[in-house]
Amino acid sequence: MGKTIEWITDFKEALERARKENKAVLLDFFNPQ
Amino acid sequence: MDAVTYPNSEVADFISKNLIPLRIGSDVDPYAGQFNVKWTPKILILDSTGKIHQDNVGFYPPEEFIASLELGMAKMDFDLDCLEETTSHLDHILAKYPQTPEAAEAIFIGGVAEYKKSGSGEPLKNAYKKLREKYPNSEWATRAAPYRLL
Repeated sequence: MGKTIEWITDFKEALERARKENKAVLLDFFNPQ
Repeated sequence: MDAVTYPNSEVADFISKNLIPLRIGSDVDPYAGQFNVKWTPKILILDSTGKIHQDNVGFYPPEEFIASLELGMAKMDFDLDCLEETTSHLDHILAKYPQTPEAAEAIFIGGVAEYKKSGSGEPLKNAYKKLREKYPNSEWATRAAPYRLL
C-alpha cells in the first residue's frame, strides 16, 4: 500500500527539514475555497 | 491534483521519499505575495534557503508529475553545481518517463551538465542529435539547434 503525503504547512519548518535531510522542498500553493 | 495525482500511490511514494512536501493556501501572506501566486495549483521546487529552482502552474497527471518533480530536483542540483546528482536525476527521467514532455528538457540539461563536467562540446552536439531524433517538435530541439555547429 502506498504512502499518504504528510504535508507540512509551516514554511520555516519545511526549509529546516530540507536542510537537515538534504532534500528539495515541494511547495504546492492550493486554492483554499 | 487532490482528486487524481496526489492520491496516486507512486506519486505519494516518490514525494515522501525524495522531497519535503509543503502546502500553503494561495491567500496566505506573506508567501502568496513573495512567490507571486496568481493561479493554482502553483507548484514550486525550492532549496533549503527558499530559492526557487522550478515554477509550474496547472494540473499534472501522475506520471508526468513525477517526471516534473525529478526534473525540478535536477535543476536544483544543476543550479547548485552538483552535476553528478543532476545527471543521475536526468538519466532516471529518460529511463522511466521517456514519453513525458519533461524528457526533452532532460536531454538538453543533461548535455549542458556533461559539457560543464568535461569542457568538451561533444555532449552538446549529442544532445541536439538526440533531441532531433526523438523529440524533433519540442522547443528543446529548437533551443539546442546551434549546438549542431560545434
